[in-house]
Amino acid sequence: MRVIVRSVSELCITVGALIVLFVVYVLFWTGVKADHTMSDQVHQLQSQWSRQTAHPKASPAPAASPVPAKPAAYKDGKPFAIMYIPRLGFTWNKPVLEDTDVSTLKKGLGHYAGTARLGQVGNFAVAGHRRTYGNPFVNFPELRVGDAVVLTDGTTWFTYRIDKGPYKTVPTDIEVIAPVPRKSGYTASGRYLTLTTCDPEWGHSHRLIVWAHLDSTQPVEAGRPAALRR
Amino acid sequence: MYGWIWRHLPGNVWVKALISLVLALAVVYILFQYVFPWAEPLLPFNDVTVDNQ
Repeated sequence: MRVIVRSVSELCITVGALIVLFVVYVLFWTGVKADHTMSDQVHQLQSQWSRQTAHPKASPAPAASPVPAKPAAYKDGKPFAIMYIPRLGFTWNKPVLEDTDVSTLKKGLGHYAGTARLGQVGNFAVAGHRRTYGNPFVNFPELRVGDAVVLTDGTTWFTYRIDKGPYKTVPTDIEVIAPVPRKSGYTASGRYLTLTTCDPEWGHSHRLIVWAHLDSTQPVEAGRPAALRR
Repeated sequence: MYGWIWRHLPGNVWVKALISLVLALAVVYILFQYVFPWAEPLLPFNDVTVDNQ
């Protein structure tokens, strides 16, 4: 009898400790790891870009046509841009990586493979964690129409302006990342951006979406765009 | 279980306590490094895309 009681209580203590440790891992440790990985990715990009500017290959394209001479394909799981959203905080910046695999989204925001390239005609769609892994999109519902979403690929600053959102939808609604998403209110093709994250905060029953259009571009030599200046 | 481990550890009380501490830390390390990263994607926090990749 005593052995049974002791075994059961030890089992309960063990399971309880496991649960507490797992909660610590999910809430705290994934954030620590992700912050570290994301700043690594950002530094990697910045050093890569500074090497490129040290050896300029061609004259920069004029701002009116932000089409580089030969765009290198985005590599799966590799960062290619940095995103800034002033509404989420002036220090908020995250790397954008190609594809939306689970392992990619641990390192930053994920660009839906198959959607448009940054700044190009079509829909540049990006997914990010709402919770865990640094909580990049935890304040997603605070985004408002007119808010700037600024991205840079090392040669150009792209300033998008939010037109609609946050719009709540179901996880199977892949139409939201179509080149001209029907629910967004856009009717003609253009240079659009879509951000997606999960809703509710800790759940997965729905998705939150915002849509934006490309407002302006400027070469990095011209300095930071107005949206990022205090 | 814990009593059984304690009885089978060598040395006096201090050595036993030290070994227990090292064992506990090793368990936590294995959990954080291998077990939790495996278990975490089974939770819904990773579902942030609309095409369910």
